[in-house]
Amino acid sequence: MNEMTGTPIAHAPGFIANETPRIVTARFDYEDSHTLERYEATDGYQALKKALKKTPEEVHDEVRDATLLGRGGAGFPAGVKWGFCPPGVWPRYLVVNGDESEPGTYKDRLLMELDPHQLIEGCLIACYAVGLSQCFLYIRGEMAVAQERVAQALNDAYGAGYVGKNILGSEFSVDIVLHWGAGAYVVGEETALIESLEGNRGMPRLKPPYFPASIGLYGQPTIVNNVETLANLPWIVQHGADAFTAIGTESSPGTRMVAVSGHVKRPGVYEIVNGTTTFRDLLYGNDMCGGIRDDNQLKAFVPGGGSAPWFTPDQLDLPFEASQVGPQGSMLGSGAIMVMDETTDIPAAALTLTKFYAHESCGKCVPCREGGTWLEQILRRVVTGRGTARDLELLIEVGETICPGEFPHAAVPDKGIEAVPFPYRMTTICFVGPSAFAPIHSALTLFREEFEAKVAGNETRTMIEVAVDV
Amino acid sequence: MGYLGGFKVTFMKLFEERVTTEYPKEKRPKPSRFHGRHVLNRYEDGMEKCIGCELCAGVCPARCIYVRGADNSESDPVSPGERYGYVYEINYLRCIHCDLCVEACPTEAITESKLFEFSFANRSDAIYTKNELVVGDDGLPQRQPWELWHEGDDLATSGWMRATASAGNPDYENRVGWSGELGYGTRDPELGQHDSASDEKPETLAHEHDQLEDVD
Amino acid sequence: MSEQDVTEVTVTVNGTEIEAQSGEMLIAAADRAGVHIPRFCYHERMSSVGMCRMCLVDVDTGRGPMLQPSCMVPVSEGMIVDTESDDTKRAQEGILEFLLVNHPLDCPVCDKGGECPLQDQTLAYGPGESRFIEEKRHYEKPIPISDLVHLDRERCILCDRCTRFADEIAGDPLIQFTERGNSTQVLTFPDEPFSSYFSGNTVQICPVGALTAAPYRFKARPWDLEENESTCTTCSMGCRISVQSSRNELVRYLGVDVESVNHGWLCDKGRFNFEAVNSDERLTSPFVRDPDNQRQLLGTDWGSALASSAEAIRRAGPQKVGIIGGSRLTNEDAYAWSKFARSVIGTDNVDAQLGDGLPAELVLGLPPATIADACEADTVLVIGPDLKEELAILHLRLRGAATKGRTQVVQIGAATTGSDSYAQRSIRCQTGEAAKTLSELLSSDDPLAKQLSDGSVVVILGRSSVAESVDPAVATAAVIQAELPHATFLVAVRRGNVRGALDMGLAPGFLPGRTRISNPSASLTEKWKQIPEKSGLGTSEMLQAAAAGQIETLILLGADPLSDFPDRNLAADAIQKTKTVIAIDNFATSSVAQADIVLPATAYGEQSGTTTNIEGRISRVAQKITSPGSTRDDWMIATELAWRLGGDLELTSKEDIWREIEQVAPSHAGITLERVQSSEMFEGILVQQSSIDLALPVPKDTPVADGYGLRLISGRKLWDAATTTEQSPSLRHLAESPSIKVHPNDLQRLGIPSGTEVRVISTRATENLTVTADDNVQRGTAILPFNQPGVGANRFIDATAVINDIRIETL
Repeated sequence: MNEMTGTPIAHAPGFIANETPRIVTARFDYEDSHTLERYEATDGYQALKKALKKTPEEVHDEVRDATLLGRGGAGFPAGVKWGFCPPGVWPRYLVVNGDESEPGTYKDRLLMELDPHQLIEGCLIACYAVGLSQCFLYIRGEMAVAQERVAQALNDAYGAGYVGKNILGSEFSVDIVLHWGAGAYVVGEETALIESLEGNRGMPRLKPPYFPASIGLYGQPTIVNNVETLANLPWIVQHGADAFTAIGTESSPGTRMVAVSGHVKRPGVYEIVNGTTTFRDLLYGNDMCGGIRDDNQLKAFVPGGGSAPWFTPDQLDLPFEASQVGPQGSMLGSGAIMVMDETTDIPAAALTLTKFYAHESCGKCVPCREGGTWLEQILRRVVTGRGTARDLELLIEVGETICPGEFPHAAVPDKGIEAVPFPYRMTTICFVGPSAFAPIHSALTLFREEFEAKVAGNETRTMIEVAVDV
Repeated sequence: MGYLGGFKVTFMKLFEERVTTEYPKEKRPKPSRFHGRHVLNRYEDGMEKCIGCELCAGVCPARCIYVRGADNSESDPVSPGERYGYVYEINYLRCIHCDLCVEACPTEAITESKLFEFSFANRSDAIYTKNELVVGDDGLPQRQPWELWHEGDDLATSGWMRATASAGNPDYENRVGWSGELGYGTRDPELGQHDSASDEKPETLAHEHDQLEDVD
Repeated sequence: MSEQDVTEVTVTVNGTEIEAQSGEMLIAAADRAGVHIPRFCYHERMSSVGMCRMCLVDVDTGRGPMLQPSCMVPVSEGMIVDTESDDTKRAQEGILEFLLVNHPLDCPVCDKGGECPLQDQTLAYGPGESRFIEEKRHYEKPIPISDLVHLDRERCILCDRCTRFADEIAGDPLIQFTERGNSTQVLTFPDEPFSSYFSGNTVQICPVGALTAAPYRFKARPWDLEENESTCTTCSMGCRISVQSSRNELVRYLGVDVESVNHGWLCDKGRFNFEAVNSDERLTSPFVRDPDNQRQLLGTDWGSALASSAEAIRRAGPQKVGIIGGSRLTNEDAYAWSKFARSVIGTDNVDAQLGDGLPAELVLGLPPATIADACEADTVLVIGPDLKEELAILHLRLRGAATKGRTQVVQIGAATTGSDSYAQRSIRCQTGEAAKTLSELLSSDDPLAKQLSDGSVVVILGRSSVAESVDPAVATAAVIQAELPHATFLVAVRRGNVRGALDMGLAPGFLPGRTRISNPSASLTEKWKQIPEKSGLGTSEMLQAAAAGQIETLILLGADPLSDFPDRNLAADAIQKTKTVIAIDNFATSSVAQADIVLPATAYGEQSGTTTNIEGRISRVAQKITSPGSTRDDWMIATELAWRLGGDLELTSKEDIWREIEQVAPSHAGITLERVQSSEMFEGILVQQSSIDLALPVPKDTPVADGYGLRLISGRKLWDAATTTEQSPSLRHLAESPSIKVHPNDLQRLGIPSGTEVRVISTRATENLTVTADDNVQRGTAILPFNQPGVGANRFIDATAVINDIRIETL
């Protein structure tokens, strides 16, 4: 990173400020951004006071009007999700999904480390709007600094009367409970997170019910929201839904945080305008990533976290807009961009991702538990030069048992391959199983020649041949 | 000529090659799939191949096989693995030498020899127990007092055939995989627990393999 | 979903419209319609988890066909299901290939091979060939996770059935998933074995051979098993089982799923005690006492053994003969003996219970309830034994009903029990004072009093301790009859077919068909030559009479008073003083060893007939193997003896006996042999009529504790020194060595540290025992389980006392 331009901020490692409007990262420039003093000095907890003056329904309507899309991966509008709580059933819980463990994603960590009060205020607003009596903050076990800062912030907030009984003298009371995760990727899946929170093994629950809003934590209606989603709430309440929707596009308003890693000049977290910023703006913009390292050629990039199908330079001009990225065969997911330049060994890169998902399978569904590891084993064989042409077909065949039917992928105009739109079908409960297959499928579809080179000259053998031979 | 005409065939046959042999003075070589008296094979290290699974008894149409399995002791195992054939009996008054037991055997433990000349004076001799069926330390069948043996009869005790899977690869349909002579040659030791994270090439895959021998 | 919401919906499965109930899972609806959807993790008695993904089928709810796990999708109106679509088939093949990827395929050595759902479904739905050529996952081959169960993690397909069973059904969550992804495995917690009373069920429901039972290990292959549907008679629950044998040897019992009784579950004691039937210790020929050496029994032939028995009975005369026992017998055998005693010998000194049960009056006369009634009652009031230890499957049923919220379990007793974990309330009372506690509760303003008096109540009534006489239980029954007249009873008498034996009149003062001796049916008077005019003696009185020299010939009909009668000293004295003791049994128990004539009887699995369970349900006992040596059925022994005494029972077969029972027993009228032999017997035929007008005896009051002694509580344990357990090599060592449990404060008061050996003194005996401090023991009481190996509690108990007190001293 010798050729860095712009203004790196020493006390906000990983975060790079740019010229976009700043909603959730506004305080990141301050060295003491995580303290209550700084938060209060920069309009902190004003939104809560404003919200408490309104009825919960008004606050809920404000958020619904803002079309705040969930930032955890699925991109479901938060205001609509809140509305799924069956009326008249109490208690209801808010669970904050801070178990950010998607490969390449580290935006929530910064939000928790650098502005924990913003998250707490967001939680309180959500609780007020939906009538939630208790909030559980589930923070990934490995995030030591985030845990420390959120815990400190929560103590301070309790001390200052923002959390607890009769908040700011009102009738509204909420308790926030901190919970550290124990290091399982699958707990990022909301129902697995609820299981983990209940003290059970973190395994996804079966759907239906499709949302824990009806039956969630301890069998009660539960709202599960991502950290970044909640961090947007103070700004929305403070400035109004109209101000929020004025940024970005109609279907994807506001800003979003993206975490860029890999072969760019300035990897880091950026807050970008939703819906209008394109991948090219992000990767090549001078106030953003500033281009590919060593001015190499871009080979491929993962647009939405390790489980998303890959894009090639052909898709660089797509904006951060789910309705445009989906038909092109991928998803925006958790906002993690992984960039691979021309020097990348594509099969090896796919193996790294597949290995992660195979390892992180919770072991519940057979296709994910057995299929993921099998895919990894075959791919490892290919990558280490022991694979055969048959193995390349086998990778797809095994993957089709996890995801029956056509798997989404980007178009490759050179080869006449058309894009297959998102989403995929799957035989598993959650997305971990398909995620093990996604990198393999993308890599094989977009860069088949690299795989073929690896298996060239190796003979195809079937099980019977191997068995009879032995 | 009259009645002499009736001898026409006889005279013509006089000058043809003789097809009968003077059994038992003279014995003809037996075909490779000849079904004779059973043997229970052992591995080179002396371990019995029989695991007492009772598949032979289950498949036997004459119900002449009686098998009981038992737990191998860890310190002094009879066969590799958890289970061994604790009782093994074949009643030769019932056996029809159909060889289905040999096909059913998952470990090539039971095969048939070319021995067929044996007769008994009492019922208990007709029931061969494990002690009598299991091969000796040299890997060859043990001779029972009432069996007539000739030179080389104790060799060639196998003829083991792999059944092809009905739903298998069409390339392999109707092709028979012969395992070759049993009790001879060596096998690779079984692999230990392979660490999936290591990039070591598993040994089984390292072998060059021969094309299947097409028997028919 | 509450019951009112259930509506009928129509679902199309493979083009055929079927009716289903809303809220029901698709797989269950398909099962009823005869469409089999392959599955591994789904089990109709447990909640769905959707782990195996084998039951994926194409479901179209208006948004186009989608692969959905049918064990997780509730049926809805208009749903279109295709279980044979191409997508479904591809998914099934894929899942099976995945399941086999790491499965060792060691079917030839696996106990499940031949009856394995994984094998069967692979054959039916599998791809036929694997594309997997990598190294399989390896684990240490079978590891024992308990004394009875081995776990082979290589074979495991992680269906969650065993872990779910342990958690949901048994309430012993001692096995769990550990690790994740491809390394996920089922394991116990470190240093904590899967020591559940119900562990054998996990072996039965395992869809692969991952869990195998030590007693069955490598005993047989499924294709050489023969089976008969029968009923377990280890306790009086009457669980339906399948008795399986190979080469005339019992090798396995499997639970049969019947709605009314056991739901397919068995306790480990019932499941594995078949080993006793195969025991080398079985009595196979008659014995008589050596006239030259009184310490020795000599083998003899049946003729002379029966002749000497008949002579001893004749010599004693009807008043001086007593018959103890009969709960091991089938109903038919019990009837034959009942008839033999009254009609031929002319005595009414018969008692199937060994002084550790309840008066026949209560068992036969209290308003009856069924197990299903208990599981649906608003409140189940348990005043009696620890159900988990004595009637384990009843405990399981109640636990299921209580955890699903269908019923509330309320206990009153002096000790902690296995039901505490699911009971709504466990009320601790002083030993022997449950009746007082209950009446105080009912007259208080406790909401529970209202719950009991307003809602339906099933009372499970029994003796909570063998060191207590029947009086506290009788007093409790009286309180309930007076205060809660709507309550029905499940009388917890536990031994084998004790209920059937009482029904057949093996109790003093009672005749077959739940009638009093004073009130015989017309057909009975016709069939029986004589009926004694007045009631005879019960076991306790018989033993007292024998000890006083008033009984000359005592017949032990499968009874071992030295081990099972609460008062060992009295039993020993009685056997000693009786001139001739005739024992009819399977094993040389301690009482049999003292007998003068020993007649070997056939055991369970060797005799056919019927048995009656705790609720009065008659079900079939099947013969599976031929009995060893010259053992005979009990009814045959009765007819032989009758013949030698100049009488004739006119009974020639079990069918014959049943026909006569149906004629003479008023309660059994209408239950013809045809019905008994029909498929109706799968669930069993419930008999609850009784012509006994209940006149409860006046109970003796419980004496006040003196403050020096400790009140002895002696309940039973599942694993004890019972003959069938002792004779089963796998079960023998499961019984704990006896130790007397006392509250730590009581021990401290006496200055005795926990774990030391102490002198235990009662009015009956002084013995040395180890004492253990236990917080769960109520102060002022001491717990010593009954019939444990070693120094048994029966040495300390005086059967005539209402309550037994003991004292503890340092050595």
